[in-house]
Parts: sequence; structure tokens; C-alpha cells
Amino acid sequence: MSTTEEQPTGGAPNAPDWQIVQASDDFAQLRRRLRNFVFPMTALFLVWYLLYVLLADYAHGFMATKLIGNFNVGLLLGLLQFVSTFLITWLYVRYANRRLDPIADKIRDELEGGAR
Amino acid sequence: MELNLFAAAAVLLVAVATFSIGFRASRLASTTQDFLVARRRVRSRRNAAAVSGEYLSAASFLGVAGLVLKDGANALWYPIGFTAGYLALLLFVAAPLRRSGAYTLPDFVEARLSSRVLRWFATVFVVFIGILYLVPQLQSAGLTISSILPMPSWFGAVLVAVLVMINVFGGGMRAITLVQAFQYWLKLCAIAVPTFVMCALFFGGGGFHGPGLAQPQSPRFTADTTVTVRTPVLLTVQEPVHLSADGTLDGAAAEGPVFWGGGTHKVDAGTTLRFTKDSPVPVVAGAPADNATWLKPVTGSQDVWATYSLMFALFLGTMGLPHVLVRFYTNPDGGAARRTTLHVMLLLSLFYLFPMLLGALSRLYVPELLVTGQTDAAVLLLPGKIASGTLGQVLGAVTAAGAFAAFLSTSSGLLVSVSGVLSTDLLPGRVRDFRVATTIASAVPLALAIVLHPSDVSMSVGLSFALAASTFCPVLVLGIWWRRLTWVGALLGMLTGGGLVLTALVLNVVSRYTGSQPPWFVVQPALVTVPIAFAVVVLGSKATKAKVPPDVNRIRLRMHAPDKLGFIRDRDVARFGTAEERARLADGRHRK
Repeated sequence: MSTTEEQPTGGAPNAPDWQIVQASDDFAQLRRRLRNFVFPMTALFLVWYLLYVLLADYAHGFMATKLIGNFNVGLLLGLLQFVSTFLITWLYVRYANRRLDPIADKIRDELEGGAR
Repeated sequence: MELNLFAAAAVLLVAVATFSIGFRASRLASTTQDFLVARRRVRSRRNAAAVSGEYLSAASFLGVAGLVLKDGANALWYPIGFTAGYLALLLFVAAPLRRSGAYTLPDFVEARLSSRVLRWFATVFVVFIGILYLVPQLQSAGLTISSILPMPSWFGAVLVAVLVMINVFGGGMRAITLVQAFQYWLKLCAIAVPTFVMCALFFGGGGFHGPGLAQPQSPRFTADTTVTVRTPVLLTVQEPVHLSADGTLDGAAAEGPVFWGGGTHKVDAGTTLRFTKDSPVPVVAGAPADNATWLKPVTGSQDVWATYSLMFALFLGTMGLPHVLVRFYTNPDGGAARRTTLHVMLLLSLFYLFPMLLGALSRLYVPELLVTGQTDAAVLLLPGKIASGTLGQVLGAVTAAGAFAAFLSTSSGLLVSVSGVLSTDLLPGRVRDFRVATTIASAVPLALAIVLHPSDVSMSVGLSFALAASTFCPVLVLGIWWRRLTWVGALLGMLTGGGLVLTALVLNVVSRYTGSQPPWFVVQPALVTVPIAFAVVVLGSKATKAKVPPDVNRIRLRMHAPDKLGFIRDRDVARFGTAEERARLADGRHRK
């Protein structure tokens, strides 16, 4: 367990640098971007789940609207919950690849440049 | 039940195949090494199949269809929640936890809050959740075996427990990526192929000849049916029905013809009920009695709360399950972890389509399960009802084999993580205790599985999710995102959340025996217990400000710094795994 308390060594940048990293604007921006995506997105899909349950309970007429045969709006929205869960994950992966990784690369470049 | 030779052979085949792949793979590489090697080599697609293979348990294979049969559209929440749990895991904990270098939850709490007391309690909860999750696996194994062999249900539970124990002793079937990936495709085929054949028969035969699923009436028996009630049950009768009974009804002895008007009726254990073809099916109290209600997603305000609570538990509980997190470490970095999660969701959603279809077909073909409420057998019994003769037997054999694969993979994974934790952290004298720990970790759930009321598999799994969500979720989320967390606060929160869920669990078990219907917050406590646990963690931490670890900034930086900074370090890997593997690894420790 003592291993966790060691300074990162080996492939990691030199130890003093991470104080600078933590204070840097880039790092702050990275965390802000992460938070700006994660928290609103969580709120959004929680609301969408809760809304579905409420609709199902209080909007019987709407949910029972038949689309094809016995397949009603309620079932369609239910299946869409799967789709939306997947969609949000996909959006997050895309966001992380496009908006988070470039800053991470930038911080790393600066660190390595400074260390040299 | 009649002997189904095909099914017995298929189950045997699955067991042999799993064993031989497991043993061969374990000879090639020990699991600890597999983790090390896999970390660099496993492709995210195969890794995703492995994650899904380990995750799809009895609850997924049998439970989801059973719940769809009983609760209808309401039960859709289980598969959605099982899938969405991975999203919460991905958004809040996966990457920071990966960077923290902790392999297990106890590792994480100790690294973040440097308290051995907290570590000990976290370990106890890990063991408890593992055992709670094993019980329904063993119970459904009993159900499966008793539906294909003329054996009592405890036999199947003992069989699987012994098989899994031998497997773990032999070192096969560790979290070896290949085996788990194989298990996923096996389970998918075992449920998809019978579903396709049955759907073809269903539509080829011109659909169902009888009242459809949208009619506002009860389901009908498809043939003269005899139902033996093994545990006391409360039935809702929507349409008057004539039947003949032998046993105790509504507290009085009954023999011969009986007429039930609308209302509820109590049937005692050991009673035999005989229904004629086309008579309406009485259903267990609490489940929708007619097909139109069944098709509606939510009915009544009790349902709304229970559904919210269930979603909460599944959504936040996945991150606290001992066998789920570990798998994420085979990803080399955050990017690969994200890709893996995406694939996992695709694979899980694909799988869950089939139990949902089977559940709907069961409502038409095996409604007699609604009388006893033991709807988990639906997937196993349905093939014999839709297809006659040999085809039905073969299809039944395929689903039984798939179910068996589900018990074997999930229980093996769980048993290994529980007994590993038991032997390293809770039992003294580490080396020789792995076998003792494995024996304890399989004997306790086995005893519980035999003694406890076999309530719905997914329900008890739901409770273990609730326990995980009320103990580990607050500690994980606040540990990662909140600087001022202290070990005292975390400990208080875990104890409060865990205590409340366990109280609910006990009340639930008691009410099953007395036959009364408990309120929603006893059946699904997460909506109440999770916020309370969060509040206790926050208040407890605020009250003990002095105990904030001095190196909190450094730990937090490591968790939130991007992967590419190289702050990922692999924690003392030797802690993880069996005693033998640790010893083996200690020889070649320095890997640079």
C-alpha cells in the first residue's frame, strides 16, 4: 500500500512539474471541459428517464397511442431509452476524443518541452 | 419434471467446454499475468465481449424474460438500468479510478483516504455484495436443473457451487479474457437462435390463436394445466374462474371443484390447482392481472416510486460491483476504456432484445407460471410449448445450456474476487487460506440459496445493486470529485447506507414468508438510501475536517490528470489474485 504514496517515476514527467500542471490554465480548462460535459449530460438523461416514467403514469392516452398493431408510443419510447443511453455514451466518447485529448496532448508537450 | 436428455447433454457440454478452455488458458498464462499482458494487447472489441460475458448473469438470462412475463412493460427498466449503469461508470469513475492505480474498491478507499479501518469495512461490504449476488445465481441453477432433470431444486444449486469451486481451485476460469468473451457469444447464441426459431414458428403458424396481448383480459391457459404451489402465494383473480383444488385455500381445506369470483385468494404451500384449457389465469398479487395493464409501462404511484428507485439502484450500483470494475483495467488507457464501454453497451443492448421478446411470447404460451409467480423458468419452458417433440427439446436444451453458461461465468468471476478479498484481507495467515476462503465464499451463498425463498432472480439482484449503490457509490463519486472527503465521513456513510439496505432486505424476506405485500421503499430502497448515504458522507466529512488526508491534492491530480501525462501507474499487482499467483509473480516482480 505504501506504493501509492510514491512519487510517479519512470515514464512520468519529473516530479516538481505536476505542481505547475495543477496550477496551469490548461489543466483548469481540461477539468472545466470535463465537468461541463459530464454534469449537464447526466442531468439531461436523468430528466429524460424520469419524464418517461411520469408520462407513462399520467399520460395514458398519449402512451397508448397505437403506431403499428399493438406497438404503442409507450413501447417506442421505452426502446428509445436504450438508443438514448447508447447515444450519450457515443457523444461522450466523441467529446473526449475531440475536446479533452487535444488539451491533454498540449499539456504533455509543454511539460516535456520544459523538462528538456 | 420430465427428463430432457438433450438438455442434460447440452449442459454437460457447456461445463466441459468452459473447463477445458479455462484450464488451457490458465496454463498458458496466469491471470495476474493475463492482466499485465492483456493491458497492452486486448482489443477493445474482444474486451467488451469479455466484460459483457462476465456481466450477463442469471438475472439477465432468465430473470429479464421472467419479469417481462409478469410485469410487462415495467420490467423493461431492468435491461435499461443494467446497460445505463455502465454509462454512469464511464462518466464518473472509470477513468479517474483507472488512473488512481487501485484495482479494487478497498484499494481505492485506502489509497484515497489512507485508512486501514475504512479498507476493512469496504472489504466486508465487497464480500457481502458478492455473496448477495451469488445467491440468485445458485437459486436459478437449481431452477434450471430441476426443469430438465427429475431432481429437487437444491441439487442444481449444489452442483453449480461444487463445479465452480473445483474450477476456482484448479485455477481455470479466472477473469481470463478469452473465456469470458467466449461466454458472451455462447450466451448470445443460446438465446438468439431459439428466439429466431420460435418467432418463425409463431408467425409461420399464423400467430397465436387466442386473445392477444392488447386485450383487456387475463391471459388464458393453453391446455389443461395442473399447478402445484410450493410456497404460499396470494393470487389476484380478475375474471371468475372454475378450477379444482386439493389443499388449503383462503385458510380452509379444499378438495374438488372450486369457484373463484373476482378478488384475491390465498393459496397455501402444497396445494394442487387444476385449470381447464382456455380458463383465465389468476396471477400473483402485485403483478398486472390483465394483458392491457401488462402492456402499460407504469401503473399507480407506488409503481412510479418503485421504478425510480430501481433505476437509481441499477444506475449507481453498477460502479460498486466487485466483478465489474476490475475488467476495466485490461484497457491500456482512458481512450480504450471509452471505446470498450461503447461496445459493451452495444453488446448488452443486442442481448437484451431477446429476453424481452421471449418474455412477451411466454405471456401467451406459459401463463401458468403466473400462478406460482416463479416466472424465471419462462425461458426454459417456453421452447417445449411452442415447438413440439424433438425440436422443442433441442431448443429447450440450447436455452438451458446458455443459462448454465451464465451461472458458471458469473459465479466463477464473483467467487474468485470474493475469496481473493477474503483470503488477503479478512483471514489471517494468508497463503494457505485461499482454499478456505473459497470454501467459505461458496458455502455461505449455497446455504442461503437453499434456505431462502426463491424470489425473482432479478429482484434479489436488484437488491445487491441497491447495496452497492448505497455503500460504494457515494464514496467513489465523492472521493473522486470532492476534495474534503474524510475517512470518518466515508465510513459513516457506508455503514448507514449499507445498514438501511440490509434492514430493507430483512423486512423483505420476512414479508415473503408472511405473504404480505411490502411498500415500495422496502422492495426497492435505493431512492431513499442513496441520498441518505450521500448526506451522511458529506456531513460526517464536514464534522471531521482535520482528517482530510494531507496529500489529497497529489492524489486528486493523479486521478484527474489526462492519461497521456503518464501518471497512470499500476498498483502493487501482487496484492491481487491467488496466493500461488502472488508467489509466482513475486519471483519476477520488476517489470520495466
